[in-house]
Amino acid sequence: MAHLSDGTLRRMVDDPDVHNGVNDARHFESCPACQARFKSVAEDAQSITSLMAAPELKVDVASAFNRVQAAPAARPKFGFRLPVLRPGSRPMMLAFAAAVATVALLATALASGDNIFTPSTVTPVPVSLADMQALSQLSAYGDVSWTTQPNLQIVTSAAEAQTISGLKPPTVNNLPSTVSTTVTYAAMPKAEAVFTFSKDKAAAAAAQAGKTLPALPAGMDGAKLTVTVGPAVAEIFGNMKPPAAGSDVTQLSLPQLVVAESSAPVASSTQVTMMQLEDYLLAQPGISAELKAAIKAIGDPSTTLPIPVPVEFATSSKVTVQSKYDGVALGDNTGVGAGVIWINHSVVYGVVGSVKLSDAIKIANDLT
Amino acid sequence: MNLGMRQVASVRTDDESFEALFTAEYARVAGIANRVLADPHEAEDVAQEVFIDFHRLHSASAQYAPAWLHRAAAHAALNRLRGARRRQKRELAQGADEGAQTLDPQKQVEVNEDRRRVRQALARMAPKPASVLVLRASGLSYAEVAQALGVGIGQVGTLLRRAETALRKEVTRGTSL
Repeated sequence: MAHLSDGTLRRMVDDPDVHNGVNDARHFESCPACQARFKSVAEDAQSITSLMAAPELKVDVASAFNRVQAAPAARPKFGFRLPVLRPGSRPMMLAFAAAVATVALLATALASGDNIFTPSTVTPVPVSLADMQALSQLSAYGDVSWTTQPNLQIVTSAAEAQTISGLKPPTVNNLPSTVSTTVTYAAMPKAEAVFTFSKDKAAAAAAQAGKTLPALPAGMDGAKLTVTVGPAVAEIFGNMKPPAAGSDVTQLSLPQLVVAESSAPVASSTQVTMMQLEDYLLAQPGISAELKAAIKAIGDPSTTLPIPVPVEFATSSKVTVQSKYDGVALGDNTGVGAGVIWINHSVVYGVVGSVKLSDAIKIANDLT
Repeated sequence: MNLGMRQVASVRTDDESFEALFTAEYARVAGIANRVLADPHEAEDVAQEVFIDFHRLHSASAQYAPAWLHRAAAHAALNRLRGARRRQKRELAQGADEGAQTLDPQKQVEVNEDRRRVRQALARMAPKPASVLVLRASGLSYAEVAQALGVGIGQVGTLLRRAETALRKEVTRGTSL
């Protein structure tokens, strides 16, 4: 059998019983080469341990906690920070994906003063995860329902992805050598959500806050906000687990790079303008600070699509993609995480992953 | 403040969850930062900033909270290590600290020199290998390191081995400069 890998040998230094299987153990016992490598790995590990020594740290947890409690909870002044999603939070990832979709939907809807709106450019907006989760509180003011449920499917071929979404997955011409060439596809047909404002629900929410409902503008009760998202298709690069039949996105490990393409969300309202709807929601007495922040953050009256992208410690800047499209660049050149998002003819494109920003921009520029 | 009492409450508010999380993780988060910075005071600054950031954006009862904190502590401390101005300040502070040490002066000089070289080497390394070294040296298990870095547990040994080789190379490079 093959020799043990460096990784296995290194782990054996910390846990001698970690052999991947009986075969490994048997091999190790009879292989002088592996034993010699183990010795060298163990010596290295020991010398690194002494190099990594640090001065003693004594903490006073209670007083540290008081200092943290006393610190002003300032928001970042520039750019925004969002957490990277971990495998341990896969159920969260679904919730997050749903929240991002909701924000994108409402953002496009609320950002416009007209009754129909399609964004033509993108902008980063400081929306936190907590803010986005607060959007679920919207159901206190009306009914949120999907008329067409979002149905994201994971497939292994570009052809299948195209059949599901109707979009041809973009071709990446410049994959950095650090990124696996293994590709998985995610595809979603068009989905549609409707929010119907309810006078009775809003009145109940106001009553719960001990207040009465502000004067209702004409047409507000029963006003509908319809938002369409997708179709969308994504190429996911990285050594993912092969998808089993009927698998869902929660079963995937974290990708190295995602290249996504989606029709820009389209929103329309009935009876009132979206701006009226936003203003009235903000005027509700029981509305939480988080929901208010979310609505305000995405309610900037412009023709832009706010992008809340989960990249840890990302800072954002404007970038021109393919010499003509205004986009948003996130992250830096450390390789921890970076992304580029832009809109071309009502289609939103994104290149996001554990790559350098310069690589992400290169991929974006060469995407066909 | 009775931290212990709060933890036994069956239904916690977010503030109570945050306090419980803080109590459970603060020493470890500060330890990770200290492992990077070799400066207990600055490490506590970093740890507190990390908790403030976390509290602002996340629910303290989130399952991913410890992993997020560990990773953020490593990244924030490494970022600080790379800041030239901070580094100078820290070296001055360490210089002042030396007088207060009870170690043999020659030995203390050597220890400080080793620490300085290792921290310079860590600052030059890519964030992922630097983080894997720091997290493991801070006593995190392979499973915890994997969670913090968002990798499979089977990859940790390989990442660690590569990172150790890279650190050794960087330290040697720093010495021969």
